[in-house]
Amino acid sequence: MGNYVDRFNTTDRILHWVVAISFFLLLLSGLGLFAHTFFNYFSLFGNPQQGIMVHKWAGIVFFIFSILLFLRHAAETCRFDADDRRWIVKVGGYLSRKRQEIPQGKFNAGQKLFGIFSGVATLVMGATGLIIWDPTAYLRELTQFALMLHGLFFTLFMVGMVVHIYLATVGNPGTLEGMLWGRVTKGWARKHASKWYQKVVKG
Amino acid sequence: MKRKAFLIDTTLCTACRSCQVSCKQWNKLDAEATVNRGSYENPPDLTPQLYNQIHFIEQDQNNDMRWLFINRRCMHCADAGCVKVCPSAGALYHTKEGLVAYNQDKCIECHYCVNGCPFDVPRYDAKKKVTKCHACIDRVQNGLTPACVKGCPTGTLQFGDRDRLISDAKAAGKKLYGENDLGGLGVMYVLDDEPGTYRLPKNPAIPASIFFWKDVVKPLGILGFWGAIGVAALHYVTVGPKRIEDTDDDQHSKGGE
Ligand code: SF4
Ligand code: SF4
Ligand code: SF4
Repeated sequence: MGNYVDRFNTTDRILHWVVAISFFLLLLSGLGLFAHTFFNYFSLFGNPQQGIMVHKWAGIVFFIFSILLFLRHAAETCRFDADDRRWIVKVGGYLSRKRQEIPQGKFNAGQKLFGIFSGVATLVMGATGLIIWDPTAYLRELTQFALMLHGLFFTLFMVGMVVHIYLATVGNPGTLEGMLWGRVTKGWARKHASKWYQKVVKG
Repeated sequence: MKRKAFLIDTTLCTACRSCQVSCKQWNKLDAEATVNRGSYENPPDLTPQLYNQIHFIEQDQNNDMRWLFINRRCMHCADAGCVKVCPSAGALYHTKEGLVAYNQDKCIECHYCVNGCPFDVPRYDAKKKVTKCHACIDRVQNGLTPACVKGCPTGTLQFGDRDRLISDAKAAGKKLYGENDLGGLGVMYVLDDEPGTYRLPKNPAIPASIFFWKDVVKPLGILGFWGAIGVAALHYVTVGPKRIEDTDDDQHSKGGE
């Protein structure tokens, strides 16, 4: 059995990384549309028109895989118990050096919240993205509102993603391995997801 | 350079449409096929080939026809929504005369500008690039008046120093539309009725969602990105990462507590 437990299977990992790659493609190809400061990012794609094309197609890929990823874990992410509520009140213990452990399932409450946010944000980005795909095809007021929402949820997604990446890498050593190779150490599992670990051990 | 502007006295307009034709000639815009819709107004709206259009207001007043005409076009706003939303700097820009011109080579075909414009003015040509009235900037910068003004036989269309046009109109006791809206419009009207009758917004403003998008969300986005990175870095050096301690790997320690 060794020192590891399986956490994410191949399908989980492929879904996650397709979402991650298309997210970064969307980010790089969309920045030029977001503000003048980033206009030069379009040169990564040859010219702005090609950048916009990449943005549109990456958007379709992101939408489909992000929704699939959400649905795959929805049963876990959408269920909160008393421990989850304690976790939220204590912000997962991230605000102090003191060791305070709150038993968590496969995903901690923060991951669940981020999972739900990602699902909602994907729907909003997809719907508004479809409207501004051709900004002259719909009612002006609708398109104007869609442009605003697309920018707003991009901002929220960006901030969420910075936090997600920090916590999943340097903030919690050993977490990234689960998404890279599918396995985490037993120590990690006991520390971060003790209720899940107990279930895995019992089989 | 003093700001230049149009002053359009709609009370003088005879709907001869010389302005439409002169504009097409100077800007080499093609003729377009239109259909009879039972109105003298033709074409019914701005198109990629029509930078200014005579809008006909045809009202039946006790079996008498009331006819109002207005030359519709880009208003050359000082606070221009189209410039605000355009992601490609220099695609839409203010000339030193304060007019709003464009450079199709820089236009990236995103078509955002039509949504930023309070007057629904920009159109897109066959190449999908922005087109609209640019005040014949090529003529103006060579000391000529815009083609439409040159072609107008009645003095409805005037072009010149904005301040002078305003003071002259006021001296003549005329009420102006657009003197102070959106930082002052580059096209001001003398109207014969309420702005609404001419399909002009009473208080033109950049649409609220466009304002929110560009003036609130955009700066917040940039702040939020760097702020989140800053907070993460701060967290790392103050609270520090959640390392897995040796005790965690001790087979006998209980999970949880
Ligand atoms: S369509 Fe062209 S001019 Fe209009 S906002 Fe986009 S880049 Fe700017
Ligand atoms: S009227 Fe519309 S297109 Fe013309 S300057 Fe104002 S916002 Fe731009
Ligand atoms: S040329 Fe002058 S009078 Fe004739 S339609 Fe145009 S604005 Fe009116």
